[in-house]
Amino acid sequence: MSRPQLRDARRDQRSPARPHTSGRQHHHGAIERPRGRAGLGLALGLGLVLFFVGIRVFAPEALGDLLSNTVQDFFTLSISVIIESLPFVFLGILLSIGVQVWLPDGFLLRHLPKNAVVRRVTLSLLGVLLPVCECGNVPLTRGLILRGLTVGESMTFLLAAPILNPVTIITTYQAFGWSDGILVSRILGGFVIANLIGWIYSRHPSPMSLLTPKFQASCAHAHDEVPASRSRRSVDMFAKETAAMMPALFVGSAIAGLIQVTVSRDVLLTLGQNPILSVFALMALAFVVAICSNVDAFFILAFGSTFMPGAIVAFLVFGPMIDVKMLALMRTTFTAKTLVQVTVVVGLASAALGLAVNTLA
Amino acid sequence: MLALVGIVATVWLALTDQLGLYINPASSWFAILMAIIGAVFVVAAFAWPPLDDEHASESDVSTPTPTPTPTPTPHARARVRGTRPEPVHEHEHAPSAPPGRIRTAQTAVIVVGATLALLVLPPATLTSAVASQRSINSEASAIDRDGAALVGGDTSSFTVKDWAVLLRQNPDVDTYTGTPVDVSGFVLASTEDSENVFYITRFVVTHCAIDAQPVGVPVYLPGWEEEYDADQWVEASGALTANPAGSATDPLVLVPDELDRIEEPSDPYVF
Repeated sequence: MSRPQLRDARRDQRSPARPHTSGRQHHHGAIERPRGRAGLGLALGLGLVLFFVGIRVFAPEALGDLLSNTVQDFFTLSISVIIESLPFVFLGILLSIGVQVWLPDGFLLRHLPKNAVVRRVTLSLLGVLLPVCECGNVPLTRGLILRGLTVGESMTFLLAAPILNPVTIITTYQAFGWSDGILVSRILGGFVIANLIGWIYSRHPSPMSLLTPKFQASCAHAHDEVPASRSRRSVDMFAKETAAMMPALFVGSAIAGLIQVTVSRDVLLTLGQNPILSVFALMALAFVVAICSNVDAFFILAFGSTFMPGAIVAFLVFGPMIDVKMLALMRTTFTAKTLVQVTVVVGLASAALGLAVNTLA
Repeated sequence: MLALVGIVATVWLALTDQLGLYINPASSWFAILMAIIGAVFVVAAFAWPPLDDEHASESDVSTPTPTPTPTPTPHARARVRGTRPEPVHEHEHAPSAPPGRIRTAQTAVIVVGATLALLVLPPATLTSAVASQRSINSEASAIDRDGAALVGGDTSSFTVKDWAVLLRQNPDVDTYTGTPVDVSGFVLASTEDSENVFYITRFVVTHCAIDAQPVGVPVYLPGWEEEYDADQWVEASGALTANPAGSATDPLVLVPDELDRIEEPSDPYVF
């Protein structure tokens, strides 16, 4: 197992001065590759599908009875998060592929306003055109960074899109109407916080250091011409993006499920009546439930009479931007330090917003 | 690979009509569509080995992508340099530099865990453990939206949810006394008066099981705990009566004429 790696490392050392292999050579490699290889790969892929189907079909029915209720619920909840998020992550990856592979080079940068502030504002409204849930936004954001957007700008998009998107706005309206300014505070709050974060990070001296080393490397080579058909590059990107996102999604979902069965909601709900504590209680709830921004309004509506409107606003603004599942997904792209900073800033800003609404209401 | 686990699980649940255990059927078309598109891409990715582009050097900078989905492993670089490609099954193994080995082990754990959870375990419904953690019949205005339409409606086709919505609006006790009720759900003890009252409960799922809210019809049956366990699915028919215990939370209760144990139905949630 360690052989190929060692051999390869040695080869790397021997040829440090070697120029970057040109696109033409890549092309050659692709053409000379024996035909049978694709067939073998295809067979392997289909075999794997059948293997998984086989496991599913022949799994013993009675196995579930061995588990206690709580363990059973942990699995049910985690699976539910995965099944629910998976299509959105796929959609996000497809959109990201669209941005990277199918849009002409420089299209985005050409059509965005030149002024940095206006550009971030435009990006934060992009969510209106791309109604993807927050989990789908992470792969899309990666695509945007690879396409040349700065880290700050991409973060603005990442944080704003789940709130400033038509589905979220409609469901929030259905749930709350115009009462207590919840809808307006949510939209404005999300917009302002996302632009605030974008502005903060636009002033960072070396924005690339905010990204994980792995993703930095992808960025560094993003502009190399890859001479392969667009569909082939699409498939390739899909494979790489799913490879990066899936472990994060699964781990995030498991954590969300675990917290759901272990942390009692009553603890949070008893704090509901205090104008200050209720804000923080609902933000904590938003963090642990990791619910999709498209439906979180209905979710929190269930507690509508228990909590003050400011707390609900804090929940609706903080939740779509930061929660356990999102942090796991964002960790594929940003360093842990960056995420801690973002969480703190978004948290403080959401809390301030919530407290302000409580004071006014 | 992990994507495949999720895809196979989704499609299988859809084919066996169990997707409703996890997400609201209103969005299942989207889940299925995306799963199929995803499947096409994943299988195509197996047929087309990874391109020798930027990601080949990615593994030099940090640890390689440990997922066994086609990742640029040494043979990718080997091909750049004109040597013969390694056999395709190399895809299955991430290179084993020490940090890489840990990552590989982590991924293996995730893949095995995901396979166990999504493919080996039989699909299940949420249990009363969750229901007791989320307050039953809370001020869930989400389910109140169609409440007004229920008043004076045809009660013979009412679901647990309809009854719960109606009862929470504190209807006039006299109007509804004697109204026949026929519902099924699982047994959940009342927190207030657990000796005499339990709820015939269902979860309302707005989007997915995470947001499931328990709703229930209170049943008045002193000593019920000796006969029925929590989580037992039952079907009850009887009539509404003013609560003999005079409870403020549940002024109207169902006094069952018949209370039968049933198997859990294939559509345990209401939407």
